[in-house]
Formats: sequence, C-alpha cells, structure tokens
Amino acid sequence: MSQATMAVTMPDETLTPRRQRRREREQLPRTRLSAGVVTVIALLGVHLVVVLFPFVWMIYSSFKTNQQFQQSVWSLPSSLQWDNYATALADGSLALYAGNSLIVTLVSVLITVAIATAAGYAFVVYRTRWMPLVEIVMLVAMAIPAYIALVPLVAIIREMGMLDTLPGVILPTVAFNLPISVLIMRGFFATVPRDLIEAARIDGASELSTFARVMVPIAKPAMFTTAIVNVIWVWNDFLFPLVILNSPERKTLPLGLTDFVGERTTNYPVLLAAILLAALGSFLVYLVFQRHVIGGLTSGALKQ
Amino acid sequence: MTSALSDRARRGGLHRAKRRESLIALLFLVPALAFLAIFVAYPLANAGMLSFFKWDGFSPREWVGIDNFVRLAADGVFWSSLRNNVLIAVAAIVFQVGLGMVIAYWLVRVIPRFKRAAMFLYVIPVVISEICIGLLWQFVYNPYFGLLNGFLRLIGLGDLAKGWLGDKTLAMPAVLVVMNLTYLGLYILLFVAAFQDVDESVYEAASLDGAGHFRTFFGISAPMIASNVQATVLLAVVTSFKTFSLVFVMTRGGPSNATDVISTYLFKTGFGNFEAGYASAIGIAQLLITVIVGVFVLTATRPRRPKTIKEVAR
Repeated sequence: MSQATMAVTMPDETLTPRRQRRREREQLPRTRLSAGVVTVIALLGVHLVVVLFPFVWMIYSSFKTNQQFQQSVWSLPSSLQWDNYATALADGSLALYAGNSLIVTLVSVLITVAIATAAGYAFVVYRTRWMPLVEIVMLVAMAIPAYIALVPLVAIIREMGMLDTLPGVILPTVAFNLPISVLIMRGFFATVPRDLIEAARIDGASELSTFARVMVPIAKPAMFTTAIVNVIWVWNDFLFPLVILNSPERKTLPLGLTDFVGERTTNYPVLLAAILLAALGSFLVYLVFQRHVIGGLTSGALKQ
Repeated sequence: MTSALSDRARRGGLHRAKRRESLIALLFLVPALAFLAIFVAYPLANAGMLSFFKWDGFSPREWVGIDNFVRLAADGVFWSSLRNNVLIAVAAIVFQVGLGMVIAYWLVRVIPRFKRAAMFLYVIPVVISEICIGLLWQFVYNPYFGLLNGFLRLIGLGDLAKGWLGDKTLAMPAVLVVMNLTYLGLYILLFVAAFQDVDESVYEAASLDGAGHFRTFFGISAPMIASNVQATVLLAVVTSFKTFSLVFVMTRGGPSNATDVISTYLFKTGFGNFEAGYASAIGIAQLLITVIVGVFVLTATRPRRPKTIKEVAR
C-alpha cells in the first residue's frame, strides 16, 4: 500500500480533535443536491440499513419477553425487560469470561507493542545487509493463516505445560499479531526525520538509552494506535482460545459465549442480551478511540 | 605506505562499527524473532514433517510417506472446502473490494459531508467479534422466528421462508452475504484513504474537460490508486483463505460439509477425528495454495508501473 496510507494518524496537537474536525469540515466543498447526489445518498442509506439493521434488531429484541419475541419477529418490545440482562449476567459466566478476556488482551497487547516498537525501530535505524531478509520474514509470517500448523502448535503448548492456561493463549496470540504490529511501528519510525534520530544517537550514552529516552516518548501515539487495534483483534480472537482452553473457568468471552448460547436454547431474548453484552466491549473501544482504530486498521490492513 | 596502512586500519574500524551495529540491531529484533521462531516457524516445520505421518496426537507416529497427500487428492470434502474458499475470495473481490471502491469514491468525491458518519457506521461490524456477528446472524436466518423470514412474510413472500443455514444449497450463499456485509467497512476505509491521497489538481483537469463521475472514476481515480487496488485484492484473497470464526460459529461447516472451508475442515480433522498427520497435510497443502494464489494475484493485477512485493505489502 502507498506510503501515505501507511503513515499512522497523528492528530495535530495544537488543536482539540473536535476543533480539528470542524476545521476539516469547513474546508470541504459544499455538497450540491443534484439528482445524482440524492440517488447516491439514498442508495448508501438503504445499504447502511441492510448492514446495520440486524444490530438494531438485536438491541430492541433483547428487551422483549420470550413469548413476545416468538410471536412476532418485528414488533418493538411493549415493555423493557431489563431482567433479560440480569438473567444473562447471572446465568452465564459472562463476567468471568470477560475477566479472562481482559487478562489475555492486556498482557498480550503490552508484550506485542513493546516488542514491535523495538523491532520497528531497528528496521528503520539499522540498515544492515540482512535487514531486508528479516522484513521478508515478517511479510510472509503476516500472510500465514494461524490454523495451518494448528495441531503442532497445540502440541508445543502442551509440551510447555501451558495447555488450558491463559499464558498458553497469550504467547501464540502475541506471535501472530507481531508481524503486522512491527510493520505499523516501522511505518511510524520511517516518518521520523532521519536527522533527529542521528542527533539523538550521537548525543545519547548508549543505543538502548537513545531508544528508551528519546524514541519511545516520540513514538507514544503510534504505540497507542498499535495497542488499540491489537486490543480489538485479541479481544475478538476465537481460534486460539478454542483449541487451547478447555476449563469453563478459563474461557475467554467469545469462546464462553458460544457455550452459553449452545446450552440455553429456550430463552431467546436473554441470548440476544448476552450477545449484545459480549459485543459491547470492542464497540466501546471503537467509540472512544475511533481515530486510533481507523488509523490502525488502515495501516495494518494486511493483517486480518 | 602510511596512507595505505591507515586506510586499512580505518576500514577495519568501519568493519568493526558495522558488526557492532549489526549486533545491536539483532538485539532489538531478537524478541520478535524468537516469538516467530517458536510459535510460527517451528510448528510450521513440524506440520511439514507430520504430514508424512499417521498420528492420533498421543500414540507413536507411523511413517506413511505421501499417503496423506494421495488421500487429500481424492478427498471430495477437501476440494469442496477449497472451492468454498475460492468462492469467498471471488465474492470478496466483487462485493468488498469493488463495492468498497465505489462507495469510497462516492464518500470522497460526491458526498464528502457524509464521509465521516458513513465510515463510522460501516466500520462497526468490522470491530465487533465475528462470534457475536455469527450468533446474531443465526437468529436472522432462523426458520421459525428469524428476521429474514419475518421480512419475507411482511412483503408477502412468505412462501420463500425457510431455514437458510440448514439448506445445503442456500447455506453457503447465506454465509457469503454475512461476510460481505461485515468486512466491507474495512475496504471502504482503505479506499477512502487512497482516494484522499490523489492530488486535487488531477481532478481539476478532468472537470475542465467536462468528465462526469463515471468517467472520472474509471479514467482517473481507479488508475491513480492502481497499486492500492492490487494490495487490497491481495488482502481480500489472503483474508478469504484465513477465514474461520464466522463460518465455524454459524454452521460448523454443515449441513454435511456444504459450508466447510479449509480451516474448519482442518480443525475437525485434527481436533475432532484426532488425525494429526492428515490435518497437517491439509495445512501444508493450504499453505502451498495460498502462496500460489498470492503470486498469481500479484502478477495478474500488476499495475503498469512495476512494483516489488515489498512495496505492495505496505
């Protein structure tokens, strides 16, 4: 992808995001309402309804009684059954699963970002002869689906004594999220003026302190962006928990949710409430850190 | 004489400095490389070896030569799974890359006022876990109280109502619809970023020329971002070959393997039937296919200006 899409979004620090957005909007050309424009708006509107209506339906259906839900699919709830949420939380171990997900997410994201920052820095600063080879390794690793060597991977985790433990999920998760994170960080360091890096390296006592005292502070926004997209990827991950975790008390949220839905087949609005609660985490992260999510997804596109 | 000596000494110093730099670079990279070696490369090498064995994961391995691959070549489920992966990739190129490009063009060039809001909405399904999305769509496709059948009854097409995911011929299209609606947002995002990079002056020339949006799109915008298109097609193909969670949670590959993709088939073989050797053979075959298809995509979609793989993958 082009260099420009690779650049990590770095909001202008002198402006608040809101004011910056307003300024951007003022610079936009006025939209003239011709027939073509109206058609485009209408088409997009209809398409967005198709894309998002299932979510809207999930939200209002989760407040129905089971009887009402099965009687009519479309109708709005006659009264809000907050009980469904209480039941979903009480019957399932959703809070427990969410806790496990939180541990897995926080630990793997911290490790991933720390390692990726160091590696991304090395890619830009040290142009040794073998560096292109390492870059190719990263690119190839990025394209390899995690499931290809799934059986040997689980065997290795078992040999390490980490089967059915959270570290057993965290380590391979870090490994498979590293290549893309390294490339995002490399993309950032490539935008740092070369002179700045060289000056810091000449002044600095050692290479390591140059990195830790000068480069890491500069890289904080990019590290944060990398962290946020990783939070979403890890929080949503299903494959590694599925093959590594077994005990109900260790399961992560996506894995536990499939159990919950499989076990309770009778009270559908409660199931919808549970799905909604499980979806809430990553949605809130997106809502709060929108710019970072979009910046990270754009620069980290080759992952997914 | 002296100058030659000092020259050699300087070169020696330079050499030493280079080696020192090499060593430091390695130190920065070691953690990342260690993770990749232990959890990516080593299992991969193991899978390569295991693909020549018969193994249930516990008892001693039994060398079977290329038997696993012979079996693979005659395995109908493997080929139907692969066909589903290809189907997903083709649908992704049309309904995610193609449609995403058109919508991104609209947002950037036609209705920039709505760009931010529309992008925000389209990205919502991208950030929500595929498990939640899959479970939700199970409800949408449910034969008794599903949203889709409810809609069909509402518009008087109640006769068409059925259990979408339980039908052998309809299950795969039903899964494809969910995938294309879910991942589209990512491609809109990528193309909006790409179109915004195109210099405004290029468009000014076109509007002086009196070109409409149709001609501008195909004549200017699309060619200007040719390398992005190539990278995005590659992304769509690689992603399609990686797909697992959404299919697994919606259908488990059923009914009777109709929606199986390579990943779900490998999972069932390795962890359901405990055929570790055969599952590894499936994985290795899939790896080779991914590489071949990847190279094919790169050559087939090559923009006029040649690009190296490295540039594309950015």
